[in-house]
Formats: sequence, structure tokens, C-alpha cells
Amino acid sequence: MRRRKQMMEDLDQDIRDHIERETQDNIERGMSPEEARYAAVRRFGNVTRVKEETREVWSFVWLEQLGQDIHYGLRMLAKSPGFAAVAILTLALGIGANTAIFSLVDAVMLRSLPVEDPSQLVLLKWGARNAPNIHGYMTSGDCPTNLRPGAANPTGCSFSEPMFREIAQVNVFSATAAFANTGRLNLTGNGPATVINGQLVSGEFFHSMGLKAAAGRLFDAADDTPSAAPVAVLNYGYWQSAFGAAPDVVGHRIELNNVPFTIIGVAEQRFTGITPGSDYDVWLPLSDAQRIGDPRDKSRSGDVSNWWLTIVGRLKPGTPIAQAQAAVSGIFRNEMLHGSVPLFHGGEMAGTRGPRHGTPAAGGAVRSQVTYGGGGPMRRPTGNKPVTPPAPQHAAPAGGPHNSEIDSGPQTLSKPDDNPNVTLVQAQTGLTGARSQYSNPLYVLMLAVGIILLIACANVAGLMLARAAARQKEMAVRLALGAGRARVVRQLLTESVMLSVLGGALGILLAYWGAHAIISFVSSNQARPLGFATGVDLRVLGFTVAVSLLTAILFGIAPAFRGARVDLTPALKEGEGSSTSSGHAGGKWFSIGNALVVAQVALAIVVLVGAGLLVRTLQNLRSIDVGFDAHNILIFGIDPTLIGYKGPQMDAFYRDLQGRLSEIPGVKSASYSMVPLLSDGLMVTMFHWPGTPQDQNSEADVLGVGPNFFETLRIPLLAGRGFSASDFKLSASNSGATPTSAPTAVIVNQAFVEKYLGKENPLGKQFGESAAGPDGPASPGYEIIGVVRDAKYNSLRREIHSMMYMPQSFGGASFELRTAADPQAILPAIREAVAKVNTNLPLFDVKTESEQIDRLLFQERLVARLSSFFALLALILACVGLYGLLSYEVSRRTREIGIRMALGAHPGSVLKLVLRQGIVLAIVGAAAGIGVALGVTRYLTSMLYDVHANDPLTMIAVALLLTFVALAACYIPARRAMRVDPLVALRYE
Amino acid sequence: MSTKEQKERIELLQGTLDLLILRTVMLGPAHGHAIAKAIEFNSADVLQVEQGSLYPALHRLIKRRWISVEEGTSENNRRAKFYRLTAKGRKQLEVETNKWNKLAGAIARILRPA
Repeated sequence: MRRRKQMMEDLDQDIRDHIERETQDNIERGMSPEEARYAAVRRFGNVTRVKEETREVWSFVWLEQLGQDIHYGLRMLAKSPGFAAVAILTLALGIGANTAIFSLVDAVMLRSLPVEDPSQLVLLKWGARNAPNIHGYMTSGDCPTNLRPGAANPTGCSFSEPMFREIAQVNVFSATAAFANTGRLNLTGNGPATVINGQLVSGEFFHSMGLKAAAGRLFDAADDTPSAAPVAVLNYGYWQSAFGAAPDVVGHRIELNNVPFTIIGVAEQRFTGITPGSDYDVWLPLSDAQRIGDPRDKSRSGDVSNWWLTIVGRLKPGTPIAQAQAAVSGIFRNEMLHGSVPLFHGGEMAGTRGPRHGTPAAGGAVRSQVTYGGGGPMRRPTGNKPVTPPAPQHAAPAGGPHNSEIDSGPQTLSKPDDNPNVTLVQAQTGLTGARSQYSNPLYVLMLAVGIILLIACANVAGLMLARAAARQKEMAVRLALGAGRARVVRQLLTESVMLSVLGGALGILLAYWGAHAIISFVSSNQARPLGFATGVDLRVLGFTVAVSLLTAILFGIAPAFRGARVDLTPALKEGEGSSTSSGHAGGKWFSIGNALVVAQVALAIVVLVGAGLLVRTLQNLRSIDVGFDAHNILIFGIDPTLIGYKGPQMDAFYRDLQGRLSEIPGVKSASYSMVPLLSDGLMVTMFHWPGTPQDQNSEADVLGVGPNFFETLRIPLLAGRGFSASDFKLSASNSGATPTSAPTAVIVNQAFVEKYLGKENPLGKQFGESAAGPDGPASPGYEIIGVVRDAKYNSLRREIHSMMYMPQSFGGASFELRTAADPQAILPAIREAVAKVNTNLPLFDVKTESEQIDRLLFQERLVARLSSFFALLALILACVGLYGLLSYEVSRRTREIGIRMALGAHPGSVLKLVLRQGIVLAIVGAAAGIGVALGVTRYLTSMLYDVHANDPLTMIAVALLLTFVALAACYIPARRAMRVDPLVALRYE
Repeated sequence: MSTKEQKERIELLQGTLDLLILRTVMLGPAHGHAIAKAIEFNSADVLQVEQGSLYPALHRLIKRRWISVEEGTSENNRRAKFYRLTAKGRKQLEVETNKWNKLAGAIARILRPA
């Protein structure tokens, strides 16, 4: 430092000496002293710049100049607070919107798994050319699964328990873990009975993830043995909410589905589940699966053809993933090609458990024979209880063996041609969970906010250009005094960066608030809290900083270079540099300012069109005729099987409860069904339709319903009759182990009649009978006793399929009560009625049908609302840009306008002059924007309903809206122009 | 100075000024003005150095320790700063001269193919 100072002082002396010597030389050559000195200085060049450059050699100059620039920039901003405020606010909105959406993207898509060293954790995925020959398949929604009947190249991540035990022995992993959802758990022993959801995990699970206990201890291998006492580990959040974070919870006994469990610990706070978006209340050892589960599941622990476990492994240090994959895949292939499949288990193995997906989006196009999804847009583990198919005769397993194959003796799981194999993928990317259904809307929103940021940039660039024009004189003076052009550009860029950094800082505040608002909106629509935590973490901060700097460069670079490219002489001579060009400015349409405004309008149109399409989609979905009366219906779930009700008891229980509920004052009628309508739950069955080839399966949606179901939901009966008590009795015995010979009565919808019967009379038609075979005992099939109007089943978007309703005789149910007034008011009376039948039976998923539909439309509502908000923001920003440009033009052309007025121009024509520019810009922008939108909106197609991606109505409406708002934005500066006083204007300058 | 004269002068290539300075001070320590004059004189006034640009270059060379600076008395008994080639600078001069010769030879071959 001292050296540098010394060097610089010496330099001054050196330069003085140098010039003096040169002067002396010149005098000796015969010049006059004055002339000699002048020539010497000219010969030397720009003294200031020489000093600057020399100082730069002694470096830290960069920092020093930055300090100067910042100091100077602050002074400039303080001098024009209006400009600074508009620019910073605009940038804050742009950067804030991006940060908010990015923080969601970060939480949902990017955050690493909440485990130790996630990069070493791999997920096993199987694949084959044809579906394996298995009896049962269940997914816990951890990864995308494709196991449709007949689908080519099926894939998934569920394996059998024997396969897991074998893989756990492979020496490429330092630890392995398997897990599966428990399904609904009825919890007693901690206040009133409740329904919770849990995950079954192998003994190594917590250890392999490197997780610690917040209290007590976690499982070890000894807990995961059939002889071990049943133990449970609580989720931290559930421990807090249900047990008040009581430290003495360790050792506490609870009952899950009537089985006593001892709580041994609480998992650490950050861990809510390994799969993104999952949130389990409790973890149980895998060996307890049979104790809490369906008795039908008893056989699955040793069954190689029942796949239900998701497997992850931690690679041994130094083991390449390819080597591990080869080892695991070899074992899998060997088992698939040489292990033999046990024969059908008679009544025990009733067929495929439904792939468990909240929405079709979560798992690709999975639809197997029986599909049951939870309600709401999030996959809720509570909703994932395997559903038993209505009767054994429907039990052709998904992608499973055809009858002819079963008959031909012992089978292998797969044929060599099928090339069964296992791939290992990073658990981070492989375990998608709820992530996959959020990715599309998030990308759309990210795009929308990206466009907003561009608009904001264009907006601020316009402001800066106007300011650069006003600062031409200042720049000229700086350049004349010897500032390098690069130095001036740097000064101007520093100002831009300061603006965007201030904007970014404010933006983080906006983002923090915005992300919270979004999350609370999301949570208000969820039965359970979201398994995603958002927050401003380092990655989000880094993103914001990067975006801010990029923004500064984007909007700052053009004005900066323009600022430094001043023509010195005219700029210094005239009061206002640009007034030379103002004379013909009216005819000069292509300028950066105009181009920026056109770009803003065009970009705003794109966002507006996108939002318009999404809003139209929501409206279309809302106004769909669902086929039943969804108003004033209260729904709640109840599952007596969890506490041991069986067979005929069930029917009696439901009938008893239905009677009590109907008597509650305010309840008009009550019924029940296997799942509520429009709850995302869906069951499909396959049967043989008379007249088609023997090995061809026909399919229809199926729903078990209680008495009075159609009356309660107001689905009109078009022909035939409703179910009678004897229909229920018959259905119950047909779905048991010893079916009768009489067919089960079913009621079908119009679509069913249309698809299978045409003009034939549906009443009395029998179908679906089958002889006894390896799939199960003989079954008498169905007989149509009535036809009802079409109604939507699981979702609003899905077309109405052929559907059959049958008397529900088993399993948990959802009650539907039609009430006279506000359904919420009678909730206490309902709880009382249930408690009179059994005090240990909790109600779950209590909501009204309208709330249910709202939840079903949650994603559409979220996206429509956010995109509308962003569209509004885009519109405002574009109009502010237009307004700013015109205001600037008017003030720049004040003199010209004054002259026009003085020469007799009518105020009206001045108004037109300004308005014309604004309107032309808006229309050009709108046209360009619609052109872009036409090309871009097709990426939205998968999110739209009943509206074409290039819907002309939306485009026109959006363009009109923008033109009107633009007109308003132009009007203010135009009026100011009209009121220019010629006298004042001419004296101006 | 007439415009014609200016046209005959060649602006220095980037980086060659360093080489010329090193070469000039190899003959003995010199002060800034003398270096500028020597370059102009030795090149028969063809090479035009904007004299000011000499100083950043000198400081760059000092920073790289290729020349050192010392106080001295000039021919007319005035105190001045003298720039002297260091051992490191001498080596650098050799390297740079070789480089320059190669470059000049190559360009000459291209311009006057045999």
C-alpha cells in the first residue's frame, strides 16, 4: 500500500519532469516557449489517463473505483428518488416472484433427501419386456410405475419380500432397507380413537439412512423379527401434535388396529419420510405387517410372486453403481427365470392390490384391475389401504397370468425373452413420490415468472434509457475530462447492479411472504400437512443473487453503452443532447424505447393468454355436470374392518349406523359407498361379456354402494329398481368363500348400456359368470336390475366410463349424508350416533362434497390463481412501461408540441399524436405476443380441460383487455401533452 | 507536425512497448524522457510512442521486477528517476526478443513467399 502511494507521488514528479524536458527540447529546436510547452503536452497525451492506467498497474484500483462508483451511484439514486423507487419496486416484483416460485421448486424438486450422504443411496427399479407372472403388486407411490394389463415394457420399484432378503445379502451394499405403506391404522390408547398412517420399514431402515432419534431409540435388526414385541417409532411432528411432545412417550403403549404396540422412540425432526412429500405419523417394523394388516396379507412375507416392498441400498464405499447393478440384476434375473411360482392360494390370495396413486399423474398411466387412490391431490398414505376386489371372480391379477398359462404346470416368474432386469438409480432422483404431480404446474409457473422478470428488465431498461438521454451532458463532461469509455460503462453498470441488488433484497422479502401465502393456501386444501417445507435456504439465496446480477446486466447493458457513446460536441453545446433528433422523432418508429415497450406488451400477452386458458379450464371443470347433486352432502369415512368386524357383522353394522344417521334432525337421507364420488378413488373390474371370445376381458368401473345411495346423491334411476335387502345378502355370500349360484344384482349407468347393450333391453341381462379355475372358485356373475343416469366417478377430468354399482358387502366405507342445511352443524350429532354403535371407531376424512371437489380441483385452482396473479402483474408492468415511455417522449418533445400548438395545432390533434404512438405500440406488441402464444401454449395442453390451447376467444379477450388498459396508460401522458402551454414550452430550455 | 508525417509513423503493437523499453535500458539506466527519445531516435522516428503511455508500461515492468528504479542525477544536474534492467529482466528480454524474431520471420515469410 505504502509503496503504491510512493510510486504514485513519484509518478507525478516524473511526468512533470518529462514534460519539462520535452519543452526544453522543443525550445532548443527553435519553438517559442509557449508553443514548445503546448507541443510537449500534446506529445505526452492524456495525463489523467496515464495516471489512471499507471495506478491500475498497482491494482486494488478496481476495488477503489467500485467504492467510488457505489458512492456516486447512491448519490445519483438519491437525486432522483422517483426513478429509483419505480425501478427498485419493479425489480423487486420480478425477482421476488421468481424467488418465491423457485423456493417452491427448490422444496419440491431439488432439496436433497433428508438422510445422511444421499448420493450413496440407490433405489432398485425393475423392468422387463412383459409383465412378470405375479399374483399381487402394490406400490406405495414412491416411484412411477407402469403395470397396466398388457402394457409393453412394464416397470416399477416394488419387490417381493424374499427378493429383498436375498438382495440384503449382496456385498455391494453396506446397508439395505425396504419399506411399504401400512394403509389406514386405527389408533387407540391416546385419547379418542383416530385414524393415522404409517410406514412399515425393515430393521436396517433408520440405520442405513444415518438417522438419529429425537427421543428414545430407533429400530434395529432385532425389532424386525417375527418373535419381537411390536414396537413403533413416532414422527417428530406427530409426536408434537398428538402427544404434546411429552418426553415420557417412550415406553407408552398404544393400540394399532387392536394390536398393542410400545413406542420406543421419536425420529429426528427433519425426517418426515424418505420419499418427497410423504409424511408418516408412525413407523413400524416390517415383521409387524401381518399383525396389523389384512389377514389376506399373511402369505405375502414368503411369497415371491407378491411384490409390495420398495428397496433402497447404500453403496459400499468405492463400489461403482454399475458393478452393484450387475450384481443385483443377476440375482433378480436368476430368481425370475428359475424360481418357481407357488400355485394359486385359493381364497387367500384374492388378487392384485391396487397400485396406490393419488392421481394418475403420480404414477404415469397406471390403472390396474383395482385402483384405489386417496382423496385430494396429495397422495395420502391413509388412502392407500389395499382394496380387495369385490368378488374373487374379478381377480385376474394385473398383467398376471392368463388362465391358459396357469394350467400348464409350475411357472417361472418371467421368460428369458422378457429380459427381466434391475437398474439402480440415485434415490434422490428415483424416489419421486408426490414430486411428479407438482412438477408440471411448477414449470409452468416458473416460466410465467421468468417472463415477468423479462418484462421487469425491459421496463427498467426503458427507464434507464430515458435517464441516459437526460444524462448525456453529464456523460459528455466526464468523457471530456478524460474518463475512459470503459470506465463510464462500468459506472453505469454499477448503478444498474445497485438497483437490482436493492430490488433483489426487497424481492426476497416479497418472496418469503409470497411462498408462505402459497403454502398456507396449499395446506388449507389438504387433509394432512404438506410434506414439503419451503424456506429461503442457501440455494434459493444463490438463485436470487444470480438472478439479480443477470437482471442488472440485462437491463443495464444497453443504456450503459448508449450512455458512453455520446457525441461530445453537440452534447456539450446544447442544453439537452437529444433535442437535435427531436425534430424528426415522430417519424422514427424503430427506437430501443419503442422496441422495449413492444417486447413488454408481447411478453405480457403470453402470460395473460396462459393464465386465461388455465382460468377457463378451471371454469369448465367447475361447471361440469357431475351427474349428481353435490350440494349439502357431508361425507366421512369409517372402517370397521380395522377393529375386527367381519362378514355378516359388517352388513348389520352399516345398516344399524345408516338407520341412526338418517334419524338425526337435519339429515334428509344417508347412504354409503366404498369410496365417495369425486374423491380420486377408482376401482375397475374385468369380466367376460357374453358373445365375446372366452379369453377376452371386458372392463367397467365398479363401486360398491349401500341402500338408498342413488336417492341420497340424487342420481336418477332411469329403468328397473334399486337394491333390496336380499340383493345385499346375496352379494355378501357371493363375495365370500362359497358363492351361491344366483348372480349378483348390479345397477349400470347409461354409458354401460350404450357400450355393451346398445338397443337391447338391459334389465335381466346376465354376464360375467365363470367356471372354477386356478383364479378362484366358480362365480355366478351379475344380473342387471336397473339403469341410472351417468355420473362422474373418481375425477372431473376423466370421461364417464361404463360403470356398474353393486351392493357393498365388505370393507371400509364412506358415508354420504344429504342434509337440509349447513352440513357442518350436525357433525356432533353424527359423532354421537357413531359412538353409540362403537366407541372405538373414529371418523376420518370428514368433509362436504363441495370441499371434496375443491380439493380435487386444488391443483387447477392453485395454478389458475397464481397464473392470474402473475398475468395481472405482467399487465401492470407492461402498462407502466408504456406509460413511462410516453411520459418521457412528451417531456422530451415539450418544445416541439409547444411549437405545433403555437402554429395552431388543435389540442385534440396533439392528444391523437401521443395516443397514436401508444396504441400502435400496444397493438404491435399484442400481435407479436399472440404470435408467440400460439406457438407456446401447446405446452399447456396436458393441464387444460375443454379448451383448446389456441382458443381464439381467450386470445381475443386478452388482446382487448390489454389494449384497453394500454389506452388508459397512454391517456395520462397524452393529456399532459395536450395541456402544454406554448409560451412556457418555448421558453423552456 | 504535418499530417503526412503522422501517416508514415506506425503505432506500436500491443506489448511491443515493453520489449522496446527493456531493450533500451539494457544499454544502461535511463530516465523516462530519455527512454522515449531513444525509442524514437533508434527507430528513425518511424515508431511513434505516445510518450504518456510509457509510464504505465514502466510501472508494469517494475511490478514484474524486470526493471528497478533508482534516484540519480541527470546530464544537466537535475535529480531524476533512472530505470535499470534487472537480471530477471535481462532473461525476459532474451525470451521476448526470440519470440519477436520468430514472429517477424514468420510474417515475413508469409508476406514474401520464396
